[in-house]
Amino acid sequence: MTELARTPLFEEHVALGGKMVPFAGYEMPVQYANGALQEYKAVREGGAGLFDISHMGQVRVAGPDALDFLQHVTTNDVSRLVDDQVQYSALLNEHGTFIDDITTYKIADETYYLCINAANRHKDVAHLLSASVTFDVHVSDESDATTLLALQGEAAQKTLQPLVDIDLDGIGYYRFAQAHVAGSEAIISRTGYTGEDGFELYLPNTAAVEIWHKLLAGGAIPIGLAARDMLRTEMGYALYGHEISADVTPIEANLMWITKLDKGEFIGRAAVAARKEQGAERKLIALKLTERGIPREHYPVLVNGEVSGEITSGMHSPMAGGVALAYVKPEHAAEGQLAVEIRGKAVAAERTRTPFVRSNVRK
Amino acid sequence: MTIPADLKYTKEHEWVRLEGDIATLGISDHAQEALGDIVFVELPEVGREIAPGEAFAVVESVKAVSDVYAPVGGEIIEVNSELEAEPEKVNTDPYGAGWIAKVKTSGASAELLDEAAYTLYLEE
Repeated sequence: MTELARTPLFEEHVALGGKMVPFAGYEMPVQYANGALQEYKAVREGGAGLFDISHMGQVRVAGPDALDFLQHVTTNDVSRLVDDQVQYSALLNEHGTFIDDITTYKIADETYYLCINAANRHKDVAHLLSASVTFDVHVSDESDATTLLALQGEAAQKTLQPLVDIDLDGIGYYRFAQAHVAGSEAIISRTGYTGEDGFELYLPNTAAVEIWHKLLAGGAIPIGLAARDMLRTEMGYALYGHEISADVTPIEANLMWITKLDKGEFIGRAAVAARKEQGAERKLIALKLTERGIPREHYPVLVNGEVSGEITSGMHSPMAGGVALAYVKPEHAAEGQLAVEIRGKAVAAERTRTPFVRSNVRK
Repeated sequence: MTIPADLKYTKEHEWVRLEGDIATLGISDHAQEALGDIVFVELPEVGREIAPGEAFAVVESVKAVSDVYAPVGGEIIEVNSELEAEPEKVNTDPYGAGWIAKVKTSGASAELLDEAAYTLYLEE
């Protein structure tokens, strides 16, 4: 077994009672001393939750062909980005299925910055490098030098403002600024994975511990992986390895809104267009139990008493009850009596929409 | 972590309080702490016969699903239905308000540890 990596904040997590677990090749806190539910509440009920997500990867793409290259490797239309704007997007393979989902930051006309999933980092970077050979572009993996913190919740802006040299009100949703946090250069973006207002901060590793402590001193509450997963699942946000993978295209995953077939050629475009003609192999749906129980990943989903698919993410939502995302046969996406098989018993469910609870992102 | 001296324990971290032929069952402080925030308890049906070592209830935390195994055999005569609305009682008071079921024992039992033996077991 390969040794697990640690972020620059490992010792801080342990000092706060963080229960460290292996995650995407890193030792990360699944929860701190007060437990996942208290952490979840801190983010949903007016606080500011602080997440170390430094395991995620960052790739800088620069050069005269940066735009053409990113149009070729990502699904969304990069030409629509203006400076200081962020775009949710994906990398597909030639089969039209997912290599990863990413965010694309436009820093300047010939400079972009990608945020990628930790577990996919080496695969993504190898793919980007090999796809880049016919473009005048430089692809550099900056992950190991970068600390990524998320500060999420209604109090996020109030907590961060005293540490920065810009007015955070000037940053809109899915926009960013290059400024300073506690004197350190940073990318500050109004993005996140919780459905609350908040920011993600890209920092040099050397500044990580100081800024972590300053945010905690300002009232931020540290949040582990368990609460992070609760918060993202309540929003119905896709997670690589769950809703998206090399087994599904954006059609199955309801991610055609980030897949612009009309923008011109890109890797996977032909396969997705063909799949669109044939129809989806399965469909991602949102469901809610109408009886007691917790729907969990891999539990079978029954339609009219027969197995139609399985849950990809499920949870007990303190606000919405038993909720889940699941793949079912396309003919069952909208019709048929729904149930989830829990320990051999069919527990009744109904189709619903995401987000499962109200989103408070600043639009 | 507390390990009351008047209870017996299993190696799967259940506890049992024996009073005559009535046994009250739950999970230990160690078990609730290892599981984390408990958000769901699946209780057995009253009247069900259980054998020692049989999975008779399920406790679910935010991240995990865990079977609860019977320390003793017998008939379920009462369940703690308050846990349906307040499963967190298993965290806050595992030996009191967080009890799971009461059994009229048949006399059969799994391997039970006393306080000293369970403490030693946890240290191993």
